[in-house]
Amino acid sequence: MHIPSSLDQADSGVNRLPMRPAGQVMQLERLGSFHQSRLSFMRTLVRRMVVENWQINSPVFDLDEHGYGTVVYQIEAKYGTFSYVVFSHYLDPERRNDRVIADQWDLTMALCEGTVDTKQLEFLRNNVPKQEAGRVDSRVLVLSRANRSARLFDYVVNELADGCQPDVDAIADVGYLYRTTAAYGSGKLGMADWEKVWTKHRDFARPFAAEMFTCFMLRHFSMQQADYLASQRSPTKAVALHEDIKRYIGIGNSTGLGMAPFLINHPLLINQWIEMRETALATAVATSEIGVDLETLLRLDTSVERVIQHLNEIVTADERQSKANIQVAKELQLLHVWLQEESTALAISHYVWASLTQYAEQHWLIETQEVINTLLIELYPELVDGLEDHMWVEESYQITPEMSVAELLEVVEEKYDWALAIDFTQYESMGAFWYRSDEKMEPRLGQTNIDMGMEKEMPLGIGRRVRECYDLIYSYNQSYPDQDVAHFVVRNPTYSGIVARIQTMAESHYGDIRENLVHSDVLPIHLLRCKLSFFGVSKFDPRSRLWVRNTMFQGAPLISDFGKLFFDDWQFPIKPTLTSG
Amino acid sequence: MKVSKNELTASLKKAFEALGFQPGDYYDAADMVVWLETHGFYGFDRLLAVLAYLNTTAPVHAELVQEDVHNFVLDGKGTSVLLCGSEAVDLIRAQVMKGACAGLELTNCYNRTFIIQRLIKAAQRNLAFVAYWRQLDCCVKVSVKPGAVLPEYQTFTMLDVIDPQSLIIFCGKSIEAIEEQYAAELEFGTLVDTFSTQEMTDSYRNSVEEGIEIDESLWETLDKLVARVLVESTDSSRAGAGE
Repeated sequence: MHIPSSLDQADSGVNRLPMRPAGQVMQLERLGSFHQSRLSFMRTLVRRMVVENWQINSPVFDLDEHGYGTVVYQIEAKYGTFSYVVFSHYLDPERRNDRVIADQWDLTMALCEGTVDTKQLEFLRNNVPKQEAGRVDSRVLVLSRANRSARLFDYVVNELADGCQPDVDAIADVGYLYRTTAAYGSGKLGMADWEKVWTKHRDFARPFAAEMFTCFMLRHFSMQQADYLASQRSPTKAVALHEDIKRYIGIGNSTGLGMAPFLINHPLLINQWIEMRETALATAVATSEIGVDLETLLRLDTSVERVIQHLNEIVTADERQSKANIQVAKELQLLHVWLQEESTALAISHYVWASLTQYAEQHWLIETQEVINTLLIELYPELVDGLEDHMWVEESYQITPEMSVAELLEVVEEKYDWALAIDFTQYESMGAFWYRSDEKMEPRLGQTNIDMGMEKEMPLGIGRRVRECYDLIYSYNQSYPDQDVAHFVVRNPTYSGIVARIQTMAESHYGDIRENLVHSDVLPIHLLRCKLSFFGVSKFDPRSRLWVRNTMFQGAPLISDFGKLFFDDWQFPIKPTLTSG
Repeated sequence: MKVSKNELTASLKKAFEALGFQPGDYYDAADMVVWLETHGFYGFDRLLAVLAYLNTTAPVHAELVQEDVHNFVLDGKGTSVLLCGSEAVDLIRAQVMKGACAGLELTNCYNRTFIIQRLIKAAQRNLAFVAYWRQLDCCVKVSVKPGAVLPEYQTFTMLDVIDPQSLIIFCGKSIEAIEEQYAAELEFGTLVDTFSTQEMTDSYRNSVEEGIEIDESLWETLDKLVARVLVESTDSSRAGAGE
């Protein structure tokens, strides 16, 4: 599935959108500065659930006085019925570990198609708590697990049991009661294939929709469990968590290197996500060509103020991220003051967004630029929300065998100029390698000639493989100038994979991520953040260059909000000011 | 036990990687096995038949030994179509993209049924294929129309003796064009058996809906192969990537 974008339209010369070039967008640092947008999967899912008024109840709510036991939620979505099964277990705090390599968790969960009967519940009870060590079947769509926030959970329950609401500042410091450490879908461990989900379950027929829903339900359970424990402890005194605080509670997430190879191994899908986001941005910019009205300028200003507060409320020990947050807030403050002072005049003078994005590119941090881009997309929901239906593409990488070798050389020179510019004779250019650990196949990054496992390197160094292939093609073209790619591959069969990738990605709009991923100083965290931004997370808190903490669904509506009037404006969550109730 | 298509594909890719296949080769090989198994062509049995060979022999690719304007001969050198099928199909379709029909003989190769997946994939670029090979005392003929997602699969008696380890492929813009140009080469005896597209469709739908049944011992074999591409974990390698 592929929709025409501005780049397609460029051929016909009509209605060309001002798309940003690949050389700008596909730089890893920029991808690592992305924020969630209206097209992020959490945003899309929430819009759908609220507008379609999904009905969710819990036919089984069997927890003991400690909150351990089983809960089954039944979900009536627009097109189907699903069950969300939670097993709550005692976990020795010493064993609480957020890594993929952990083998016990506070909670384990499964999202299943249809209703769950006693027999299936028993099957799930025997397998779901084991996670990777268990097996499930094709009735299960997603498998996940979560650990309690040691800092916040007990505090919140104690406050509620005492009849008080927890301090919002304490909530802000953490942001969640539970952290999810993995959400497996797409057929892993015997689950339903993505193809089944896509073709049979329209409610989740978008990338990662079922996985995001699993995290949304975890958020719901976490607050329901806290309320339940408080009421168990003090039946007469306890109060329920205030709904404004509930909306401000999200789900924690720790993401490490496990997510990084996905972006390299699915370049067509990543290209599609980025193309849709860029199309949304270009649409916003193009819409302003007749000038921006005062109401729209003021809406942008309101959003800018909100982001400044959001950034000021983020707690991170990472020096680089902390400095960036401060600088972005400063630059947005300049924008805010300017909008306050000039909006009326700008509206009269037919101001265009291209002037703002151009100014930002010349004067402000990449992170600030990408915040502004996200906010511009927010201004035009009626023009961009339809793009959410085009976030998936069937990936197929195939050689174009009839292409001449000379033409293939030109393709590499044009589309992979970034790879050819890397000097791979420098040690640093090949100073790192990716491999799979024997601990649950966790991907890891090693140092060349220092760490063991180089001979089992994962082929993620696309730039280096392109360079090697280019050199060979160049030499081949000298000897056989009139031959085609098919003959080249027959004589050099071990290069068929990279040739297929080059030729396939050359036909895409944005192509591969332009970074040497085997450089000594590579920052995988940018890869993680790029993917997480498409998921829709917020509050990035890098813990090293290899993993990042963040918050999911913070600020999102609650189940009790479904079916009600909905302003889809929960991005960049800020501390609530409690109203009565 | 049952596995999903995605899970099986991921496992096969790593298993083939462990056997020395390069990127590209292991993607194609995994796709071939999964396609055959999910469409009722006993992909697992065919995989088992070749695993011992692959496990003891470094990957061997076919060599182009003869070509003219419209015809090629590739020497498979005793290897599996899992390793040389893609190159054969790419070679012949390149020729057709430049002009009329083309023919290719892949000699001295094994596991020829796997070629069906490559033909189906290539047919999505608006090309037609007819392939045949000897199977015991019969001849298997596979025809794929341009854009078709399923082949016509038939078994005939042989009119002439066919080399037992050769695979013949013809490619053109349509089945009719191929049959017209290569009429003499496409004469077979009596139709013995067919495998209907309905059976293939039912098999595939069931695989997606219920998962794919796989013998636990084969799954363990794949797991053991996959283990070869894993690196032993150490405190050092574990450090810094989370807590």
